Amino acid sequence: MSTALAETPEDIKARNKQLIAEVLEAYPDKSAKRRAKHLNTYEAEKSECSVKSNIKSIPGVMTIRGCAYAGSKGVVWGPIKDMVHISHGPVGCGQYSWGSRRNYYVGTTGIDSFVTMQFTSDFQEKDIVFGGDKKLGKIIDEIQVLFPLNKGITIQSECPIGLIGDDIEAVSKAKSKQYEGKTIVPVRCEGFRGVSQSLGHHIANDAVRDWVFDKAGDKIAHFESTPYDVAIIGDYNIGGDAWSSRILLEEMGLRVIAQWSGDGSIAELEATPKAKLNILHCYRSMNYITRHMEEKYGIPWVEYNFFGPTKIEASLREIASHFDDKIKAGAEQVIAKYKPLMQAVIDRYKPRLQGKKVMLFVGGLRPRHVIGAYEDLGMEVVGTGYEFGHNDDYQRTTHYVKDGTLIYDDVTGYEFEKFVEKVKPDLVGSGIKEKYVFQKMGVPFRQMHSWDYSGPYHGYDGFAIFARDMDIAINAPVWKLAKAPWS
Amino acid sequence: MSQNAEKILDHQELFREPEYAKMIENKRALFENRVPAAELDRVRDWTKTAEYREKNFAREALTVNPNKACQPLGAVFAAVGFEKTLPFVHGSQGCVAYYRSHFSRHFKEPTSCVSSSMTEDAAVFGGLNNMIDGLANAHALYKPKMIAVSTTCMAEVIGDDLNAFIKGAKEKGSVPADFDVTFAHTPAFVGSHITGYDNVMKGVVEHFWDGKAGTVPKLERQPNNSINFIGGFDGYTVGNLREIKRLFDVMGVEYTIFGDNSDVWDTPADGEFRMYDGGTTLEQAANAIHAKATISMQEFCTEKTLATIAAHGQEVKAFNHPVGVAGTDAFLQEVSRLTGKPIPDALTKERGRLVDAIGDSSAHIHGKKFAIYGDPDTCLGLAAFILELGGEPTHILATNGNKAWAEKVETLLASSPFGKNCHVYPGKDLWHLRSLLFTEPVDFMIGNTYGKYLERDTGTPLIRIGFPLFDRHHHHRYPVWGYQGALNVLVWILDKIFDELDKDVVAGKNDISFDIIR
Amino acid sequence: MALRQIAFYGKGGIGKSTTSQNTLAALVDLGQKILIVGCDPKADSTRLILNTKMQDTVLSLAAEAGSVEDLELEDVMKIGYKGIKCTEAGGPEPGVGCAGRGVITAINFLEENGAYENVDYVSYDVLGDVVCGGFAMPIRENKAQEIYIVMSGEMMALYAANNIAKGILKYASSGGVRLGGLICNERQTDRELDLAEALAKRLNSQLIHFVPRDNIVQHAELRRKTVIEYAPDCQQAQEYRNLAEKIHANAGKGTIPTPITMEELEEMLLDFGIMKTEEQALAELAAKEAAKLAAATA
Repeated sequence: MSTALAETPEDIKARNKQLIAEVLEAYPDKSAKRRAKHLNTYEAEKSECSVKSNIKSIPGVMTIRGCAYAGSKGVVWGPIKDMVHISHGPVGCGQYSWGSRRNYYVGTTGIDSFVTMQFTSDFQEKDIVFGGDKKLGKIIDEIQVLFPLNKGITIQSECPIGLIGDDIEAVSKAKSKQYEGKTIVPVRCEGFRGVSQSLGHHIANDAVRDWVFDKAGDKIAHFESTPYDVAIIGDYNIGGDAWSSRILLEEMGLRVIAQWSGDGSIAELEATPKAKLNILHCYRSMNYITRHMEEKYGIPWVEYNFFGPTKIEASLREIASHFDDKIKAGAEQVIAKYKPLMQAVIDRYKPRLQGKKVMLFVGGLRPRHVIGAYEDLGMEVVGTGYEFGHNDDYQRTTHYVKDGTLIYDDVTGYEFEKFVEKVKPDLVGSGIKEKYVFQKMGVPFRQMHSWDYSGPYHGYDGFAIFARDMDIAINAPVWKLAKAPWS
Repeated sequence: MSQNAEKILDHQELFREPEYAKMIENKRALFENRVPAAELDRVRDWTKTAEYREKNFAREALTVNPNKACQPLGAVFAAVGFEKTLPFVHGSQGCVAYYRSHFSRHFKEPTSCVSSSMTEDAAVFGGLNNMIDGLANAHALYKPKMIAVSTTCMAEVIGDDLNAFIKGAKEKGSVPADFDVTFAHTPAFVGSHITGYDNVMKGVVEHFWDGKAGTVPKLERQPNNSINFIGGFDGYTVGNLREIKRLFDVMGVEYTIFGDNSDVWDTPADGEFRMYDGGTTLEQAANAIHAKATISMQEFCTEKTLATIAAHGQEVKAFNHPVGVAGTDAFLQEVSRLTGKPIPDALTKERGRLVDAIGDSSAHIHGKKFAIYGDPDTCLGLAAFILELGGEPTHILATNGNKAWAEKVETLLASSPFGKNCHVYPGKDLWHLRSLLFTEPVDFMIGNTYGKYLERDTGTPLIRIGFPLFDRHHHHRYPVWGYQGALNVLVWILDKIFDELDKDVVAGKNDISFDIIR
Repeated sequence: MALRQIAFYGKGGIGKSTTSQNTLAALVDLGQKILIVGCDPKADSTRLILNTKMQDTVLSLAAEAGSVEDLELEDVMKIGYKGIKCTEAGGPEPGVGCAGRGVITAINFLEENGAYENVDYVSYDVLGDVVCGGFAMPIRENKAQEIYIVMSGEMMALYAANNIAKGILKYASSGGVRLGGLICNERQTDRELDLAEALAKRLNSQLIHFVPRDNIVQHAELRRKTVIEYAPDCQQAQEYRNLAEKIHANAGKGTIPTPITMEELEEMLLDFGIMKTEEQALAELAAKEAAKLAAATA
């Protein structure tokens, strides 16, 4: 159990300070100086977390981060189901990211949907030396023959593409022309660009702007607009998250005309400029396109948080405030409808989870967004950090965290292990690479990227699963078995 | 309302609830501009035809659902087989996140590996500084005994020179001058993960035997009686290597497992995280030069490594992932010949038990058609076993198989009447296999987790044997080598066959043969 | 004799391929067994030896066959003048792909397939400057031990020579590569010999030979031959023989170069009157324009 239980915030801050000093000691001087800027303790009332972010990772430290390709293919574009996404370059990137993010969708895979498939140009040495543009053209031709129902193609660049100077834009344009204006999107998300997944999100957003919006023309969907049309932006439908969110929006009287990008389609992307309001869940990965739509089409946007009843309630009201009384009343009805369910979930699980301490390290919005859900269960987040957050993420985090919370940006394997060892949380929430490290240490763990193959966690229906899963993790009998009776 | 606090519905059930089904259907109808149902059916049926197969096999540029990964994955696999060795991949950092995740999803274990985190500036100016800082940080934080450097395709395209960079880093004091840093160039656009494994193993051999990049005298070989054993890239490495050690111990053989990752991917949960565990000691790696011979369990994983070892005067012998009676016989006989140790009665008895088990069960396998896909050596080993069981391999496919491999498979098939209707497909992917399964159906397929999609599309039951296995737990803890290993494989095959017999049974409709004895 | 690996570097158009092929032809007359590895996408490093227009390159053949693994050594190695083994790495068309990677691929292939066996000399002929990691491949450890820079008294050739020295220095500490010397290919610029010797000294090297200009070289080239083969008795052939002997005797005598800064190089060029000061250049330009104007108005 946590040693921090009876401590005052001042005690905790002193401990954190010492802890940070201890981990920094292990580094060579130059690296210690650089890492020091990423580690801190949140001080109540401050408007920032006082850590540097979105800076290059230090070589050799076991960063948890990925790359721009992961941000574009893996996050933003991959879930668009009726397009074929080519992992352009050597075979590995597409192989490792094949079907691993659990972006649920409905469709016939291989016929009209392609999310859980791995299309690659499988670059060979000759493609590197002589360039891969001709091969890319041929690949597009072959996709057109074998997957005739695809609604578009994206080209997700891997490292070599930028290094050898291939002109994928020219190939895209020529092939688009050849196939009667087909949407073919070149994405310059080579893995060496930027410092993490984050630049890949931005590049992918820009590619939607330049190659979908600007070229959609009269392809824009035929449905009649209503005053209640909204688009869900930044929900990747992991384990069905977007669905358990959408159902609430529809129940309150809104109409969701597009999902970005979980279970999304190219038609939905193209139709989004018709939305009356963009509602943004993962700010980090999709604020760019949301801001663009605000500027270009005058679509307002609002951030929301569908983790845990407290935040859901506030978010439903916030979203409703952009609409008329009918919607506002609808929001109240939805809140009222689910109250008994939420109460039952909390009654069942809060007694089992009350007072438990959590440390998080995730990407996107989760290092802050899930805090409310834990608090609804009586749990406390004592440390958090972002894999690829920017300063605006850390600013937003101040609305969620308590005085004395340990903050660690782009945490290294070494730091994370030491922090957990000393802070002794009851639960760690992070990714697959971290999961088994902490479980061996006897610390309950949940993957908070893939929901540990569970979910959804968004919305009211999702919260019930979230609560159950946290109980499964923390109260599993296995944690009591770690020590042999004789040792 | 679908959800219920007393019986919480998971995603599997939740989204089958009527209100979700309706919502999703509405979304499809209104906003997705979906393909009309008739058109969808037409194309789906068309993809099952011979005509589609022909077009599919006419592909020259596109690869769909390949069954191979890239070199550095194999590099990491090889590196963690040595005592307290930290794999260090020079290039973009996202790659390392992928390798670590990939292994953790298969083994359900942590995989430690660092990157030199090269970004755009390093792409222009070269990654020397990343190597200097990276080695220093990795050494300071993770206190390895050895660092094994390999490369991502980024570093390979810009042409970074590992040997020079490592020397440069040592001069700058990143790691002590006598600290062991092995290196191997592992371009992702050449070969596959098995090539990367080979390159790293060769790099380790050269490092320890050939004077550590010119910093110490080369070792002089003084032959002794021990043998080296190299497993190759193997998803069952935990179970297999332990089984091999047991076999060697039973035979009383002196041996070195060269590259032993069986412990690091199977550490206990006892409150302590072991970043390193077990592994071939560096001393053993060096002394392996004196061995009488080296046995590789997977030829296509060790082509260059074995050539390098042979050039040092050792006898080398390569197998193709032997599974089954004859495969294990050949392996043990070779061990016996090389070491002069007889095969003890205990193992002959084990053999007899396996033969007994096959005799008990082969009626259920005899004449059944199998599609087999996987790494080249795995395919060969499994196909040989299926032939031995009286099964009929029908399609054998390895995306990373080459012409030499295909010839080897042909030779194997020609050796048995059960192999006469089988075709071998080097360099083809799982989308090719999809066409094969539609146009030339088989009873079962054997392969890794990716076959799950083929099972759904074609209805061919999948027997999960291979790497990666993401959707089943703990199989890697069981051996597939040795007589015991063959028994495991036999049981997995039989379990699936029996499960299939009862799969679609409905009481009162078609349950006549719903037997409790089989 | 242990395998000696040498490389010729130099600015494009300096006569590097001509010099190297003539020198190697002379070297083979000394009884040496030679392998040439052309590392220029133009693939013109062996044509005088082979008396052909162009040789099939490793990379073009590999691209046709699928990958380098599908090639045999015989496919890419041709035998030329007095048994010299000739290979060309080849590479992409200008503006696409990665020529540097091509060099790495080709050299790895040759080495792995035994091209380096049974020869006394491997000679690399490398495009222009050390522009990226790929073009540094021949100077890595276990590759060329001595680099010969082909240059002339022209400004850009001198710049290039200094840059190549920088490339060598980078690898000299980790590997064994050394600067064997400068070869000046006469362009008949002012004080060319002095300048070449001065630069060699500044680079901590030697001017190993000054090759005078002679039209016989062109006559031979038009016939796709080296001077050694075309006119073995002429004075120019003797020059190349002298150079070959010097290189042969230069084993292990290479030095770690001391490249100079841009400022130092410019200073040197000013001293030799190759380069003008800004004031001089401006004054000359103004005079020229004034003269033009005067002519126009006259």
